[in-house]
Amino acid sequence: MKAGQLLGLDTLREKYAYGYDPEFGYTAAGKIPDRWVETTCGYCSVGCGMLAGVKDGRMIAVRGNPKHPVNEGKLCPKGLSEHYILEAKGRAQYPLLRENGKLRRVSWGVALSAMCGKFRGVQERFGADALGIVSTGQLVTEEFYALGKLARIGFGTKNYCGNTTLCMASAVSGYKRTFGSDGPPGAYEDLEKADVIFLIGANIADNHPILCQRLERNTNKTLIVADPRVTKTAMMADLFLPVKPRSDIALVNGMMHILIRAGLIDRDYIERHTTGFAELKESLGKYTPERVAQTTGLSEERLYRAALAYGRAKAAFIGWTMGVNHSTKGAETVNAINNLALITGNIGRVGAAPFSITGQCNAMGSREAGATSSLPGYRKFESAEDRGEIAHLWNVPVEKIPTSRGLAYPDIIEAAVGKKIRALWIIATNPAVSYPNYDVLKQALESVEFLVVQDGFHPTPTTEFAHLVLPAAIWGEKEGTFTNSERRCSKVNKAVDPPAEARTDFDIFLAVARELGCEDELFAGWTGPRDAFAEWRRVSKGRLCDYSGMTYEALEEHGGMQWPFPEGAARGVKRLYEDGRFPTADGRARLYPIEWEPHPEQPNAEYPLVFNTGRTVEHWHTRTKTAKVAILEAMSPRAWLEMNPGDAKRLGLKPHDPVDVISRRSRVSGVELRITEIVAPGQVFMPFHYEEANSNRVTQSAFDPISREPNFKQCAVRVERSKSAHTAWRQMPARMEAK
Amino acid sequence: MALPLKDRVLENNPLFCPTAAPGRRASEDLIPVLPLEAGEQYRFHFDMTKCIGCHCCEVACNEQNNNPADLHWRRVGEIEGGSYPFTQRLYLSMGCNHCLEPSCLQGCPVDAYTKDALTGIVRHDAEACIGCQYCTWNCQYGAPQYNPERGVVGKCDLCHGRLTEGRAPACVAACPEEAIRVEAVRIDEWKNQYVQLGNAPGMPVADKTISTTRITLPDAAPAELKKADYDRVRPEHPHMPLVLMTVLTQLAVGALAAIWACTLLAGSFAGARMAAAVALGVANLALGASTLHLGRPIHAYRALKMWRRSWLSREVLLFSLFAGAAAAYAGSLWFGLPGAALLGAATALAGLAGIAASAYIYRVPARPAWNSGYTVADFYLTAALTGPLLVAAIGPASRVMTLAAVGAAALQLLNQFSKLLWLARSDEFELRASGRLLANDLERLLLARFGLLVAGGMLLPLMGHPAVGLAAALGGELLGRYLFFVSVVPRNMAASFFTGRAA
Repeated sequence: MKAGQLLGLDTLREKYAYGYDPEFGYTAAGKIPDRWVETTCGYCSVGCGMLAGVKDGRMIAVRGNPKHPVNEGKLCPKGLSEHYILEAKGRAQYPLLRENGKLRRVSWGVALSAMCGKFRGVQERFGADALGIVSTGQLVTEEFYALGKLARIGFGTKNYCGNTTLCMASAVSGYKRTFGSDGPPGAYEDLEKADVIFLIGANIADNHPILCQRLERNTNKTLIVADPRVTKTAMMADLFLPVKPRSDIALVNGMMHILIRAGLIDRDYIERHTTGFAELKESLGKYTPERVAQTTGLSEERLYRAALAYGRAKAAFIGWTMGVNHSTKGAETVNAINNLALITGNIGRVGAAPFSITGQCNAMGSREAGATSSLPGYRKFESAEDRGEIAHLWNVPVEKIPTSRGLAYPDIIEAAVGKKIRALWIIATNPAVSYPNYDVLKQALESVEFLVVQDGFHPTPTTEFAHLVLPAAIWGEKEGTFTNSERRCSKVNKAVDPPAEARTDFDIFLAVARELGCEDELFAGWTGPRDAFAEWRRVSKGRLCDYSGMTYEALEEHGGMQWPFPEGAARGVKRLYEDGRFPTADGRARLYPIEWEPHPEQPNAEYPLVFNTGRTVEHWHTRTKTAKVAILEAMSPRAWLEMNPGDAKRLGLKPHDPVDVISRRSRVSGVELRITEIVAPGQVFMPFHYEEANSNRVTQSAFDPISREPNFKQCAVRVERSKSAHTAWRQMPARMEAK
Repeated sequence: MALPLKDRVLENNPLFCPTAAPGRRASEDLIPVLPLEAGEQYRFHFDMTKCIGCHCCEVACNEQNNNPADLHWRRVGEIEGGSYPFTQRLYLSMGCNHCLEPSCLQGCPVDAYTKDALTGIVRHDAEACIGCQYCTWNCQYGAPQYNPERGVVGKCDLCHGRLTEGRAPACVAACPEEAIRVEAVRIDEWKNQYVQLGNAPGMPVADKTISTTRITLPDAAPAELKKADYDRVRPEHPHMPLVLMTVLTQLAVGALAAIWACTLLAGSFAGARMAAAVALGVANLALGASTLHLGRPIHAYRALKMWRRSWLSREVLLFSLFAGAAAAYAGSLWFGLPGAALLGAATALAGLAGIAASAYIYRVPARPAWNSGYTVADFYLTAALTGPLLVAAIGPASRVMTLAAVGAAALQLLNQFSKLLWLARSDEFELRASGRLLANDLERLLLARFGLLVAGGMLLPLMGHPAVGLAAALGGELLGRYLFFVSVVPRNMAASFFTGRAA
């Protein structure tokens, strides 16, 4: 401390001075930038418009963009503090290559030649598919599009997938099966216009708080929330359905059973726009209120109330997130939800949609343009016609287009354990925290001959395993587009330079192509993301996700545009399937009989509790970013375990005790106990954000057979008071500075 | 059965959801449109039924004021009640309540606070503030917060600067649920309404400061709503300079008063002048140490300003007088000058009054464990114990001094035990929590404190070792004062599971 400060001179007067920002008025002088750069938030898929304040080459403030139609100036706490991530400690700055067990700084030239040399070597020895690529939902669409070409054509591997498989793959699969294509059919506006909103396994108050303002504005709604936990969102509900874990299929089937019996279905719509109703109806016969009440733990009265409210709605909206998707029955649960919407005609109308609220800022861009689970423009690997189109658009021989998607993310990891995948490229994701059953993941990362991790941060628990770390630019440092949950494409702009030698993922992909000698084949004449966007517009033309009418300039002018937006159109389309025609062979949506099954790992005497995971509003995913934002980290500094008071009493546990959570796989130690009525007896809940107490040490390797999405929720555990656990927080002194 | 689906209409039909107002811009009617009338002031309205606990207001506030992450002029807390699945989770968001009779303002020794005549906003002037943090003890809502980086306190000013521009405060503008608003309140009406409309579970009960924030509660809330940080009571800041300052001033006062009384009753005695000189040294050391408590020590003199209103100003004033008188008294003893008896009386009087002022600083309703006669007794008994012991240790061991010290030690023991019993038996959460802290987290220190008191204040002096006794007793009193500071549990709003202020 300086002498002046010790004496008590006001040396920081300037820091705490106020000034006038022409745009936002009276505020701290230190938060008034030279210019505001319009962009889109880089955390979740709500897709809030932002203004990034830049002064002297640094981002010093962010504001919600008052003109952006998604958020109208609001931001969640993560968005409000997003500028802090740019100068956070632990940004990846230089390429690092492992030599003699240690990561050492190398030039980009050395890094790229090592990467391509190793990858090509592995592919020559073990086949092209021995290279696995796992990407993300965090890049801009232009990068996803470039990476798709690079992975599929440049490297020619089938085994390319994204972390979106940990997130909304079940929604994608469910949409594809029912409607013939991915693509959430509704719009955020529906939250304002529906008279019944039914949220299943979606804690939007914690995870998508900016959507809550839509609900708030909707003054004549009935909000129904189904969740095993009394979440913040459950507290907003007019009708809360505290279902047993993973009984959602029974709930939805039970509602349909009641609605069919009550005649509260849209026979006309079913007749004209769906197939499979007879089989569906047949399968629903056994989902009587008595049986469903037993399965879900709801009273019959509550079940009737929910069903009748939904059935009598003029426009009913269903929103879901990970409570549905993170399941071995995820895709089928989505089908059940779609069934409910279809038989009541609640789709393609104002306020009415079965709507998957997506996770990452650009998971949608990855789904549409990324060539992971489908070819760009929702084209199918299996379709010769689609392959032919893509080959033609890309000007490559059709043989180069894979005929199937290859391994999904979990299968890539298991193939790495089984030595079928020999080299791995992980981009902008942190599986060492986010992937279920950590021990398997660890074995996979240690088994491959060469692991490249490309990330904006280092060290992360995943870069620690890497043979090569490529430092990447992050949000705020690059240009492109994000597409949000409601299919709205918004512009992302560069405000500041990336640190040291970090480069945009786009540049890295082009440089890798150059190193491979396929830059001209893949990216001829490309100099920046704008070129990728131009090509993506051509590739998406005429598809459901048609971007051909969008330009960067128009995106900025309108604050984002919803697809489909064909060339020449005056405006985007708010809702899909308004005409009741679906992109299936016969133009009809398919109804599937879906059967409820108990979740795979049931509690027993040794592991008596059902373990549930989820999020908190202060953190994003694995905290590589938000742990470094002091105000967020202080609000939620460590993992906690929620346990019902009855269970705690039985186990002799006290509030704030450090506990271990133990499953058949492993244990997570030193979690702070929160004794609360938020969770049901027999269940425990833990946030999954924390590397230090990683819930994925106990989660299981159980995946949806259709979507390949992991069953992050519902595994059997027991809880004990920690013995030698890391409990330094107990001794931490009180906040000395506050007094 | 006729299908209700027939009622469905299309988007372009204006009858569709007529109550929804499409395109309404957020934060339009979140602040009063009309200027205030006479007898009105601005205040917050918080709607608990709307808050979803997203913490946007907190982050927006810190960005607005460029505050470090550990200051929260606006905070969000959580309360919970009922049992699964009928659990109620409710959130509180609070900045400053802009009280009608703000206790921060009344206690401030430098007049850094003003109640804005036009708007009623309680404003704090960082230029005037010396960082004594007395306001942070006085406010039961924890609204003023000390910023150690700058050395001054700061607090929510209802974004005065934004309101005057016709803009909503940062928290109001940031709330996605429109749960926070600014409104005008008629001051005289509010005096009759605040008990009903200004209270909420999870908040300290609105008292004579008359907080102005109006809180809308849910229609049906469980009878018992527990703060999320209920079980997370942790020791408060020890304020080491104040531990030293209070104990040592009390020692000096006790010693000088004892010397004076003894000389008055029994005539001058050997060692008196040395003891007085030492006590004078201790007094000056203590007063010097006290400035280290300030964020801006160089401006310590300003603390004299508000002696008509603030106990802190009175303490500074009385101890300054005491230090002056003590210097004169010690000088007159040392050099054998006349008038010593009068100077001694003045010294004792100023010192004893100073101790009273000291004690009354801590008698703040917002810190219940301090707000009792035990504090006054504690401070005087420290003086009565350590003062005579000092004299006995320096001069030839005097039986009177020893007995006085032993008597004071016994009373102090009684005082402390009574306080513990009072804490343990209280119905008030903060008092019970203080007792719990002492009995659990601080148990060893508490036992050591009693051990030192008995050994240093009673056994050692009686066995003829007043100097060792003094050291032990002084250690005991310092430790006791440390426990006094760290074991207080302030009244405050509910916090989150993790984010409670140290309390």
